[in-house]
Amino acid sequence: MVLTDPRQHDNPIVWANEAFLSLTGYAWEEISGRNCRMLQGPETDPRAVRRLRDAVIAGRPIEIELVNYRKDGTSFWNGMTVAPVHDETGQIVHFYSAQADMTGKYRTEVAMKDAHDELERRVGEQTAHLRAALEQKTALLHEVDHRVKNNLQVISSLMLLKARRTPRGEAKDALQGMAERIGALSTVHRMLYSTGDVTRFDLREFADDFVSELVAGLDTDRTAVSAEIDSIAVSAAMAAPLALMLHELATNAVRHAFPDSRPGRVTISAQRSDDGLRMLIEDDGVGLAGGTPNPAGFGRSLVEMVVRQLRGVIAWSDVAPGTRVEILVPLDAISLQSPITDRAPGPEWASP
Amino acid sequence: MTETPLRILVVEDEVLIALELECLLDDLGHITVGVAGNSADAIALGQATSPDVAFVDIHLIDGPTGVEVARALSADPHTTVVFMTANAKRIPDDFAGAVGVIAKPYSERVVAGALRYVADRRAGLAATVEGLDGFRLASAPETGERHTPVR
Repeated sequence: MVLTDPRQHDNPIVWANEAFLSLTGYAWEEISGRNCRMLQGPETDPRAVRRLRDAVIAGRPIEIELVNYRKDGTSFWNGMTVAPVHDETGQIVHFYSAQADMTGKYRTEVAMKDAHDELERRVGEQTAHLRAALEQKTALLHEVDHRVKNNLQVISSLMLLKARRTPRGEAKDALQGMAERIGALSTVHRMLYSTGDVTRFDLREFADDFVSELVAGLDTDRTAVSAEIDSIAVSAAMAAPLALMLHELATNAVRHAFPDSRPGRVTISAQRSDDGLRMLIEDDGVGLAGGTPNPAGFGRSLVEMVVRQLRGVIAWSDVAPGTRVEILVPLDAISLQSPITDRAPGPEWASP
Repeated sequence: MTETPLRILVVEDEVLIALELECLLDDLGHITVGVAGNSADAIALGQATSPDVAFVDIHLIDGPTGVEVARALSADPHTTVVFMTANAKRIPDDFAGAVGVIAKPYSERVVAGALRYVADRRAGLAATVEGLDGFRLASAPETGERHTPVR
């Protein structure tokens, strides 16, 4: 504890107890008559000093913590309570100050703050690291996506250029047919990466586009094409084979079911059923037996290969008039975890 | 097939794609006024030919400079710019003056449909892109005179 006298010049120390002397390391003669600021040093916060001085000038009590220095130069956190002492007329005759060494408390606080800062720094570092890695991966995905699409365009252009330079006949038709198959695969790629969900695509969206393409090359007065495709989420792995299959069956029907300007209609439908994905392609044309077997040969075996790859079953039938192709394909786990449906995969999908 | 042939500039660095596109445009009854594979050639050809339509890929021989090319070409009020790219994510929000984008890989039908749209719009007719999944407009079509020829 210490007492100062504000009525004397520079508010000097006029009394101090033993505890104050041992805390600061000074002898009474060394501090007597001096201002308390003698305890301040380089690390004392000037803002704290200003608050203390303002309180003393205003004659207000104050509680404050600041860095003070001992006689030997070592510092300590001084937790002070300073209060004015009035005489009977209300005049301030003394300032009274009690001190406590708060260094221990401060050390803990500083250590905790340091630890906290370090942790924050490390988390920040880690986050920046992960963000950079993610950006790199995203850039890579865009690059690959761009390349796949560009290459599909190049392949398609290559086929079409060769087809243009090939005289009318089987070879020209084959090249054009290939370009169209590539077109079907291209549509899948365009749709897969445009929606943001790179794992699945919507079969209906594909079918809409695909039917527009099919109809574009048709005399629609003679051949009508209608599609009833449910909005079905299909995994990326299934997308390409399904697209190829639909393209093959519909193109076959349109090209070969109606020879000699025979009018007719082609109906394509797809629904989700308990067993998976059920697709039906029907026409009222000449039927399987009536068509020339040759041109449909490759298309048909392509369809059967794709259905096998999808672990599905296919049934071709003559329905007089016309042909009916029914396909049942089990949906894989990714297709099934769709928001469009909520059915869990059943045990029947486990069979090879 | 088309009433008035359009004069078209093709800005595309893949020679095969450019060549096939030229054949396709010819089939559709249009005229290809030039093919450029880099930005400098594209801008110079644009100034020399003042085409009706420019198809602009984003990635060219000198990098992703198609956006600059689109900006430069659309400065000519006579020219309608359409992006044709597999990299639509690089197109800025204002489309650099282009009216839309044909996504690669494209089909002949979509190219034909996009050109029909552009021709209708230039003729001041009501144009629609319905059923053209591979062709996306920059924004709702403006009604202004921006794309009709001045002078």
